[in-house]
Amino acid sequence: MNIRKILATLLAGAMIFSIAGCNSNTNTGDTAPATDESATDAGNEADTTSGEKPYIAIVSKGFQHQFWQVVKKGADQAALDLNVDITFDGPPSESDIAIQVDMLKSAMDKQPAAIALAALDTESVKEQLEACLNNNIPVVGFDSGVPGAPEGSIYATASTDNAAAAAIAAQMLYENTDFKAKLDAATADAPIAVGVLSQDATSESVVSRTTGFIDKLVELVGDENVKVSGHDKYAKDAASAKLLIVVNVPATTSATDLKTSAESLLATSGLAAIYGSNEAAATGMLTASNDGSEFNSENGKFGEIIAIGFDAGKTQRVAVENGWFYGSVTQDPYQIGYQAVKLAVDAINGVPAASEIVDTGAQWYNAENLTDPSILELVYD
Amino acid sequence: MVNSEKKGPDIQKLLAPAALVILYIFFCVFGQNFFSGSTLVSILDSTYYVGLMAFGITFVIVTGGIDLSIGTNMMMSALLGGYMLANGANIWLCLVCMVAIATVIGFINGTLISRLKLPPFIATLGVMMMTQGFGSIITRVQTQRFPSSFDENGAYKTIFYKTANGFPSGIVYMLVFFVVALVLLKKTRIGRYTYAIGSNEEAVRISGVNTIKWKTLVYVICGFFCGLASIVYAATYTTIIPGTGNGLEMNAIAAVIIGGTSMSGGVGTMSGTLIGALLMSVLKTGLMSMGLQGHYQTFFTGLVVILAVLLDIYRNKRAARV
Repeated sequence: MNIRKILATLLAGAMIFSIAGCNSNTNTGDTAPATDESATDAGNEADTTSGEKPYIAIVSKGFQHQFWQVVKKGADQAALDLNVDITFDGPPSESDIAIQVDMLKSAMDKQPAAIALAALDTESVKEQLEACLNNNIPVVGFDSGVPGAPEGSIYATASTDNAAAAAIAAQMLYENTDFKAKLDAATADAPIAVGVLSQDATSESVVSRTTGFIDKLVELVGDENVKVSGHDKYAKDAASAKLLIVVNVPATTSATDLKTSAESLLATSGLAAIYGSNEAAATGMLTASNDGSEFNSENGKFGEIIAIGFDAGKTQRVAVENGWFYGSVTQDPYQIGYQAVKLAVDAINGVPAASEIVDTGAQWYNAENLTDPSILELVYD
Repeated sequence: MVNSEKKGPDIQKLLAPAALVILYIFFCVFGQNFFSGSTLVSILDSTYYVGLMAFGITFVIVTGGIDLSIGTNMMMSALLGGYMLANGANIWLCLVCMVAIATVIGFINGTLISRLKLPPFIATLGVMMMTQGFGSIITRVQTQRFPSSFDENGAYKTIFYKTANGFPSGIVYMLVFFVVALVLLKKTRIGRYTYAIGSNEEAVRISGVNTIKWKTLVYVICGFFCGLASIVYAATYTTIIPGTGNGLEMNAIAAVIIGGTSMSGGVGTMSGTLIGALLMSVLKTGLMSMGLQGHYQTFFTGLVVILAVLLDIYRNKRAARV
């Protein structure tokens, strides 16, 4: 009994000492709990010529897809080129907002010289961003970045212009002769449908790609001719619409839910085309169609339906190669990772940001241009 | 008096299958394009892996225990199988290893629970987290991909998932092992001991039966079925993502509960579990065909679970009436 009490007291004492010892700065006045300690020290250390490599903490949206592995490759290379230390972390899935917040907090606790963040949900990390701002830890956004972040808290963002990328998909769909023919033949009584499989309705990249696609299609077909349904966020009514855009957002980002959502869209009557917002959505479409083979225009079950994906991954690449997917839009995940680190280093060195967004670009790829080496290097496995 | 009491249990047995049929008809009427061959195949597609996991965990729940690790166990086995495949192993060897690995995890669970006396919830919770992490550690958090049906090694898909002309061969696979599970539970010694241990473990132990061995075996069976589920999961979804699987066990457990198995043990049927798994798939696909998206599915599935348990409690109360 006595030993236990002594141990407990010692433990409590050790905890109190560590908190007291680290709490050197009491005038930060920030709201985030465990981050006040040594954050300011980190800000000063980065510029010293002590020979110690600056440390950049990267918090991504996850490792769920090969996409992030390629982002990591780019970041690793940049770390090598620019002589910095990085850690690359991400929550187990893109639904795990709370876990990402925790990861961000522990990244801040590691006293980084800078942080690179791809937020699953900006609101959830607002507190931590304020803390970083108050402690002079520059934060760089990448991929979805941190849209709507508190003024001045984000140095710059390295990302794809998602809305523009999605607009490419809409443009290519509109220019497809089969689709054009169906669209011209459609009337308000016999409309055609386009399915949009959107992984979630919270992260900026997915939302932008959904909105970008829908907006461009509405612009091309005519506002009064298009009705959007399926999810309140994108809903739009039209009295006599000949094109129905149906948006489906699954309950979670799990493979099983995405497959079910894809199947539901593929069963929509009058479906002429289906579009996926990212690699996960494209994977959902692929698993719902026997890895894409059912989109085979000759004898496939969904041969009549035009499938358009996003990002890459081996199965999607095969589907595009074989012409089952009409095409897909790929980003440049390698550059996203590389630029994220580069921007972080610029921020550490006090270089003023050249622009708020560094557009890492998007490309349309299909069976024809996949042989082009510049496209091929963007289409990861 | 005797006659009406005799009628009672029979009607109750038909309740779950009746609910399934009613629900199916409901969605045929109110859903869009629900009554079609392809929808039926979609429903079956999402049932295979849940069904197989549910068959395995039925044994565990009937003994009054629980196994939270089945979801991540299945994923880890699939991950490791994909990893072996990526490193050049023969696909059939990989599939066999997947079942073996999952069975070993089942054995670990069983040992922790019956020999080392850990509470099932805690032991399987720990194993769940360990398997979730282990899969990611070995594969270095890389997504593993299984061959597509048109790839060189794609034959496994024809057997375990779907044939070239769309016949859902996975249902054959699932039904074969449904019969295996059914026979195990109803006709063999392990089945009888499963019910006995679930009803009164202490009495079984005192009467000289080696409860440690038999309880461990129950968890081994559960692990084995997870391995079977991992094969069909790989065949259905092809891409295995590390760090996932957490949460799938809840679907399997819900299926078992809806099927009439009691969490306190001693009561349960394998056919009930099968019905429960099918019911959840019908619910999921049906709600979506009515235009209700994902969040409604989880809401209604939870509602169905509660109703199923309430029904079970009501049924027991009536049976206990003097």
